[in-house]
Amino acid sequence: MKKYHLLGLFSNFDEAFAAISDIRHHKIPGVQLEDVTVISPIEHPEIDEVLGARPSHVPKFTLVGSLFGMSAGFLFLATAQANFAVQPQGGKPVIPLPSNIVLSYEMLILFGVLFTLTGFLLGARLLRKRKPLYSEKVSLDQVGIEMELEEKYIEPVKALFRQHQVIEIREEVVK
Amino acid sequence: MQHKDINEDIRWAQINKDVLRSMENPRKAYWISVGICLALLSLAVIAEIYQYNVGLGPTNLNWPHMWGLYIATFIFWIGMSHSGTLLSAILHIIHADWRKPIYRFAEAMTTFTLMTAGLFPIIHLGRVWNMYWVLPYYSDRGIWPNFRSPLVWDAFAISTYLTSSALFLFIGMIPDLAICRDNTRGWKKKLYTVLSLGWRGDDRQWRNFRKTYLIMACFLIPLAVSVHSIVSSDFAMSIMPGWHVTTFPPYFVAGALYSGCAGIITLFILLRYFFRFEQYMTLPILEKTCKLTFAIAMVWTYLNLIEYSSVWYGHDTVAKELLIDKFTGPYSPYFWAMNILGSVLPFTLAFEKLRRHIPTMFAVSILLNVGMWLERWMIVSPTLAMSYEPFTHTVMWASWVQWFIVIGSFGWFGLLFLVFVKIFPSVSMYEVKEMIFHRRHLANKDIAAVMHRRSSDPQPSEGH
Amino acid sequence: MSLQNILQDWSKYRKGNEEGGFHDYEHLWGLAIDLNKCIGCNACSVACYAENNLAVVGKDKFAKHQEMHWLRVERYWDEPDLGEQAVSDYQSHGASFLPMMCQQCMAATCEPVCPVAATYHTPDGLNAQVYNRCIGSRYCSNNCPYRLRYFNFYSYYEDSWPAPLNMQLNPDLTVRDKGVMEKCTFCVQRIRAAKDVAKHEHRELQDGEFTTACAQTCPTQAIVFGDLLSLHTAGKAESTLSTLWRDQQVELGRTEQHKQNPDKRGYRVLEGLNTDPKVMYLERVREV
Repeated sequence: MKKYHLLGLFSNFDEAFAAISDIRHHKIPGVQLEDVTVISPIEHPEIDEVLGARPSHVPKFTLVGSLFGMSAGFLFLATAQANFAVQPQGGKPVIPLPSNIVLSYEMLILFGVLFTLTGFLLGARLLRKRKPLYSEKVSLDQVGIEMELEEKYIEPVKALFRQHQVIEIREEVVK
Repeated sequence: MQHKDINEDIRWAQINKDVLRSMENPRKAYWISVGICLALLSLAVIAEIYQYNVGLGPTNLNWPHMWGLYIATFIFWIGMSHSGTLLSAILHIIHADWRKPIYRFAEAMTTFTLMTAGLFPIIHLGRVWNMYWVLPYYSDRGIWPNFRSPLVWDAFAISTYLTSSALFLFIGMIPDLAICRDNTRGWKKKLYTVLSLGWRGDDRQWRNFRKTYLIMACFLIPLAVSVHSIVSSDFAMSIMPGWHVTTFPPYFVAGALYSGCAGIITLFILLRYFFRFEQYMTLPILEKTCKLTFAIAMVWTYLNLIEYSSVWYGHDTVAKELLIDKFTGPYSPYFWAMNILGSVLPFTLAFEKLRRHIPTMFAVSILLNVGMWLERWMIVSPTLAMSYEPFTHTVMWASWVQWFIVIGSFGWFGLLFLVFVKIFPSVSMYEVKEMIFHRRHLANKDIAAVMHRRSSDPQPSEGH
Repeated sequence: MSLQNILQDWSKYRKGNEEGGFHDYEHLWGLAIDLNKCIGCNACSVACYAENNLAVVGKDKFAKHQEMHWLRVERYWDEPDLGEQAVSDYQSHGASFLPMMCQQCMAATCEPVCPVAATYHTPDGLNAQVYNRCIGSRYCSNNCPYRLRYFNFYSYYEDSWPAPLNMQLNPDLTVRDKGVMEKCTFCVQRIRAAKDVAKHEHRELQDGEFTTACAQTCPTQAIVFGDLLSLHTAGKAESTLSTLWRDQQVELGRTEQHKQNPDKRGYRVLEGLNTDPKVMYLERVREV
């Protein structure tokens, strides 16, 4: 069966919010909330209310990165110092804990940040080819609802969009 | 008189237009500024080439005065870099939305001041060509840098801070780069297409973006504190009177935030004037920044007085002699200038009339930073002049080589900043929109009640 | 491999100066300088210039404090005990001299601050400076409370020894170029040579077999060079120097000396900073 991408552009967030709310309450039987993607010019944390809690895995990356940075940082320093044992200095031990703690801390943050970045790039699906169905108005001031639908649902969804003062509807066939 | 931080009725298309306008068609004033910066930078280049060939002798550094203006200016620039973190990360976490129109250039300032600061420890080396020996890389001969040295901590801390703050700046800019991508043509469109990483603003991206940005902010705050604590360790970890001070880490952090805030005021006024950003960089926001600066100035003053009094009432005779020498000795004019500029001048920020007078604030913010530069110099030089060994007590005045490089660093920073404001949006467009959106909804209590709940909160009656 | 190395030797790597340090010391070279005998003639300093290829920087650079005297004789003119009489330039009327060379501290403050580990503590108890490794951050000199580290601000060799003076350079050690730090080594080249001879002859190094250039040159024999190992490790052979230290009741590893006999004149400069220097000075006694 043919599948379609549908993009409806709304002039303000409240209309889009209401439209998704209708989908959530099964106004159109068979259309799942999971098929809905909201694209917006600004961040709308309150969208979770209608879209439901969708997970973000970034904090897990952060945790792994930080723990890795801290432990690998300390081990790296300690091994380097132990293999450079000609170097006792200032009456201090060959492996001095205070300075290693400082540097492990920096490594914790550095790797935490780098892993967070990786998590963000993967989680947000950046660095990929953008879907062609995109309107430049979204980066200006309009809110878009993008859906992946089977052919039979297209007309009811369009009707729902119009009911909520949609400005523009674009559609295309999924290849 | 304007009381609102921002005009909530401003059209979103207008925001895009105003900010994108600032990025095109440089005017005459821009090219003149670039020229001045290049001229300053060339002074530093000349001095550095001379110093590279001859050695550090012509700088007038000598054996008690192994460090001089280079290290003082290094701390100064590192201090400036704390502005972006404070304004952006801390205010982000405490949900102070007035940061939104002005944080972008503050973060850019962080990145560029770090790029300036990082040059100084390199320039000041006796054998610059071997500077990479400080980095921990594997060598066949089993030689490693000395991880005990605060200078190596500096290298770690500054590279971590530079990486993190540049990423923080970049990640916060991705939605804006997408706006640029959608509104430009030609090579610029290609550039922004690459830089925006395929951002389209869907809910998955925003959700991950929100988490990422918050986590980065949470990392940056302790990182910024640790960076300047580590810079202060260059002194606090030593054994010298006037350097070996327990309160140095908080003192340095306070001083850093102080000079950073003053730097923000300077650039705020310049951007507001040259890019006609009166709609976004409004007087109430300037006032808030000034109040913040005043508060930090008082913290700095307090820590400064603590340092004096703990030395004065302590039993460290050498440190006390040094303090008396600071008060009355050859460096005393600069010492008093630093105290007056750093502790007395900020009281101008306490008066609303003065806070709203832009030329006054411009002059004050620059003078505050002059005071903070003097502070750093007054940390470095008097200790070297008056330490334990009386035979080595001597005063050093920097030669033109040091001054040229110090002055040139301002040209280098200015150049980086000027390039930035023409390539990247210096006001965050999407966040100004957010600010307006949320303020308008807050004005309407009914909508606010719905809007400001999270999905995890108990649901109200489902009828909507 | 590395991990195993750490786990096996952890306690050894965690031993600081207070616990005896990482090294099993072979020697602990030290000095004793009797200020009563010092007449301030600067012969030690000249000998040091000749022995260690120290650059002669010239009047201008000397005035700018860019000189390289590893051993400097400090002059002080204000003897507090003398009161009003202390105006004269004469040693008996107020001038006093203090020959200062690297104190070869056991807990040297210059060492841990070097970013590239160019200075470290040797098994001879010396504070070594590796010229080839130095990048010239000059932190060590800043952190030396005695200010005994000197920096090559110029390529001094270019005009320090105009021909034929270059023929007098000591071939046993290098001539340093611009951008590196240098300091007194206790004539490490002499120590090396003496050790090599002893090893060649299959015997232990004898006390008094060799001495530093300054001690050799001092006309009043105010400077005594020797091995302090017996003060640090029990059961090692006594040397002239360690006997002198014991006689003066000066001990290593202290920030304050507890003397039974307060008339003993031995002291270490700035030992309260816990640098644990290995140079003992004998206080000057003056008739007031």
